This record gives sequence, C-alpha cells and structure tokens, in this order.
Amino acid sequence: MIRRLLAGTALLSFLALGVGGLASAPAGAASSGRHALVGTFNLQPGACFGSAVTGTYFRMIFPNGSVANGKFFDNPDSTCPNKAYTLAVPGAQGGFVTGKYQPNPVPAFNAQGGALADGIVQPQSFTAIDFSIATNQKDPQTGLAVPPPAISVKNGKLSGQVEAWSASWNKLYFNQGSPKPNGTTPGLTAPLSGSYNAKTHAFVITWTSQIVGGPFNGFTGLWHLAGTFHPAR
Amino acid sequence: MTIETAENKGSGGAPTRRWALVGIAVIGVALAVMPLAFNMFGRTPKGAVMIAGFKPYMISARLSGYQSELREIDAGVRQTDTTVAAYLGGGSPDRATFEADYPNFTSFDQQWPAIDSKMTGLMNEVQANLGNYLAVAALPSFRLFPWFFVIPGLLIAAFAIAALVRSSQWRANRWVLVALGVGLIAAPGVFQMFQRAPDGGRMMSAFENIETSQNVQQIQGYFGSMAVGQGAIRLEIVPAIEGSGLDASQISARFPAVASLDANWVHIVNDMTPMIGAMSDNVANYQAIASLPPFPLFPWFFVLPGLLVIGLSVAGGVTRPRLGFSGASDGPPIAIPVNQGVS
Repeated sequence: MIRRLLAGTALLSFLALGVGGLASAPAGAASSGRHALVGTFNLQPGACFGSAVTGTYFRMIFPNGSVANGKFFDNPDSTCPNKAYTLAVPGAQGGFVTGKYQPNPVPAFNAQGGALADGIVQPQSFTAIDFSIATNQKDPQTGLAVPPPAISVKNGKLSGQVEAWSASWNKLYFNQGSPKPNGTTPGLTAPLSGSYNAKTHAFVITWTSQIVGGPFNGFTGLWHLAGTFHPAR
Repeated sequence: MTIETAENKGSGGAPTRRWALVGIAVIGVALAVMPLAFNMFGRTPKGAVMIAGFKPYMISARLSGYQSELREIDAGVRQTDTTVAAYLGGGSPDRATFEADYPNFTSFDQQWPAIDSKMTGLMNEVQANLGNYLAVAALPSFRLFPWFFVIPGLLIAAFAIAALVRSSQWRANRWVLVALGVGLIAAPGVFQMFQRAPDGGRMMSAFENIETSQNVQQIQGYFGSMAVGQGAIRLEIVPAIEGSGLDASQISARFPAVASLDANWVHIVNDMTPMIGAMSDNVANYQAIASLPPFPLFPWFFVLPGLLVIGLSVAGGVTRPRLGFSGASDGPPIAIPVNQGVS
C-alpha cells in the first residue's frame, strides 16, 4: 500500500515537474523562432564619406556624456573628418567569432604599448598608440571568466552578449563588453542590438559599454559593427 | 591580616576590584568593537589598495619625470605657437592664417596654459607629499589595522571578565592585563606612529582635492585635449614643415622642442595614462580612508586605552583593608575587615 502510494506520488511529481518545466522553460530556438548565429561575423571596414560614416567603427563618450550628444573623445589619428570616429579594418580572421574566443597574442603589446591582437580587427592608432580587440576566456582587465560572444536572431533583430569584448591599448586592458563581466550594465552600458538579413546575411550590431577603472574610467565605448555573417561549418 | 568574606570568596572580588575589572572589560570590548564602529574592516583594505596602487608612481625619479614631460609639452607648444607659426606663415606676424590652417592646435594652444598650470600644480603637490606617502607606506599594512584593535581588545576583555568570574585568577590576569596595556602604549612607538600618522594626515589633506571624481575627470579631459593638440603637431604641423622642404634632422635642429615632443609623445602617453588610471581607481579608496578618524589620532587610540588598562589593573590590585558588612545573614550587621586586594 505504502509502495503504491509512493509510486503514485512520484509519478504525479514527475508529471507536474514535466508540465511545469515545459511551461516555464526559456523559449527554445524552435518554439520562439530565435536562432543562435554561430560563426564568423565578417566585418566591413569603416569608411567616412564627409560626415557620413559606414561599416565598423568605434567612438568614445566622455563621462557624463550621452550617446546622442557626446561629448566624444577625438582620436587625432582617425582618418575621418570627424575625429570622434575611429574606423576599424577587419583582422586576419575577418571579424569576430561567436561561440569561440579570439584571445590576445602573447605578448599582447609591443614595446611602445601598441596592441598586437589582429584576429578581429587590425590594430588602429589611437592617440599615437595602437589599440585592438580580442575576446579571452578570462577578461584581462577584471580577471573574471567570461563566456565567448553569443548572438542570436529573431525576426531580423539581433541580441546577445559580448562580455568578453576587450580593448587593449598602451599596455592596458579595457573591458568593452555588454553586459560587463560581472553581468552588470553600469552607466551608459546598453545591450547588444542590431539587425540581420537572413537572405544576404548582412548584419549591423551596436552596443555601448562603460569603461570601469583605469585612465578612461567613466568613458563609454560605442561600438558599431557591420558586415556579413558566415555560419560555422 | 586576611579574612575571607563572602564578597571576595566566590562572587568576583571586592567592590574596587570589581569596578576596575568592569572598567577594563569595557575598554577591551570598546577596543574590539571600535573597528566595527568605524567600519575599518570595509575601509582599511581600501587604504592598503590605495597605498599599493600609488607605489609605482610615488618614486622621486618618476615624479620628476612627469614634471619634465609637462615642461617638454610646454616647450613644444610654445615653439609651435611662436617660431613654427612664424615659419609656416612665411614670417608674417599675422597669425590668422596659421590659426585657420591648424584649428586643432589653436584650440589646444588656448587651453594649454590652464592645463599646464593645473597639471604642474598637481604634480608639485604630489611630489611635496612623497615623504608623507612613504611614511604611511612604511606603516604595517592597512589591512591589519582593525586587528590591532580587535585582538588586544578581545584579550583584555577576556582576561578582565575571567578575573571577574573567578577572583582567584586576578593575580595572574592582572599582570597579563598590565602587559597588554604596556603593549598598547608601546605599539605606536614601535611603529613610529607618532611621526608617521601625522605625515599620513598631511598626505590625506593634500590629496583631498586631488582624489575626487571631478578632478580625475578634469585630468581625463586634459589628456584628451593634449592628445588632440599633440596630434595636430604630429599629423598636421610637422608634415607641413616637411612639406616646406625641411627633413627630419633640419626640423630637429630648427625646432628642437617640437621634434622632441613628437619623438617622446608615445613615452609621455605610456607614462601618464597609467598614473591617471591610478588616480581614478583610487578615488573610492581615498574616500574610504578619509572617512576614518584623522590619522594623527590613531596613536592615541592605542596609548589611552593602554594607560587606562594599566591604571585600572593597578587600582584593582591595591590591598586596602576596610571595615565592611558581611551582609550574609538576616541578623544585625557585623563589622568585619574586608580584603580588597589579593591575599
């Protein structure tokens, strides 16, 4: 009798958990229409046409500034008329990869402090010193473990996380992820968003990430990535 | 003559001793609790981080290096503003063309005197406090500070309470308490706190206007302006001089300050930005330490409790017969000698 009761209770619990689990589980790829984009986001080089800027670029907002109105940090080495835009050139791997890390080389800097990472983008001069991007398993600024970039699409809208996005410059590291490695979104840090054309695989991704610590503490990096997605095989 | 009474036999000793022991126990508890009251466990580790964070920069040669870098920028800007502007203007005193051709430099040129004054003043202030910083850095780690109160405080309280509970322990505990009191008095001397703590106080006062978010943001902005100004010299003005027919060696000979700034700019950025980072990273750490009681008071936080503990231990140990009442029966009080000391 007791065995039957226990067995019945277990069966009911199993069913209840199963139904409840289905009801509360995060929407899966199939049911929600959201698809993970795993592969390489090949970057389109940044370019300036007068005041218009296209492709992949980076801007840095001063503390207490805003995305809409700045004030933006002028990089004298920018090739744009508007020096607030630092243009990116695709790196040796064509762009950034989701589901994998593209870590800093060893050493990460040359003797002058110029960044040497060249997988995602080619190092670009920023106030006379090269800066670059990498994604590392352990964020070099905070020392925290971070997941590799993950981006998904639903109805042409992109979302995801780039916690591991790390800028290197002048022998210093600046986490530029969203969210930050501890999961927070301080200041102007805003989630990754963008658009994706399933036919052409063209994408545009933007996010902002406030720098926490170091000489640019309180500044916010504004990232604009454009290009074409190539799924992993 | 020693006569055992109900009071000193099993209930914790005579009134004077009891009062003294209660006082010692209170001092011990107060010492142990003081770090909590001042949130030292939260704040002093930040002080340790601040001291460590400044360490690479608080070196006389490095601080002097910052001063010479500022002079180097100043010389480069002044030379560009005068002889280079005249050269590129074909010797014309009219600067309008130069300013129109090089708006980024012109903008920086107008900002530079204020930037130079602020940055030089800041570096003077920091350099003037190098000795004070070194004095503080020579103290035991800030992380240990709370324990310097908690451990003796708990020991003092424990020995006093033990003697309260069992008066037979008073003889031994009394000397331990005296020793702890002496230790408290000696600690500031051992660590030279009477000299170093006031130095630390002076450093904290000097850094009051340096270690603020507002000041750090201003310096960050100055760095941005310097980068733009130097960028104008490096990427616009020097190429224009080269375009006029001078090669690098001729530029160095004719405009040495400009050439020197151009050549050393990367080194200047290498040197300055980590210092700005250290200043920025330690704003919260400084504020945490600044909210502690003033540094010069700290030696007295050891000495005064130490004196009180010794004094009370001595007072509590005085043997002074007096007449008292047994108070042990319902009958009329009987006067008997009462021992207040250790028999």
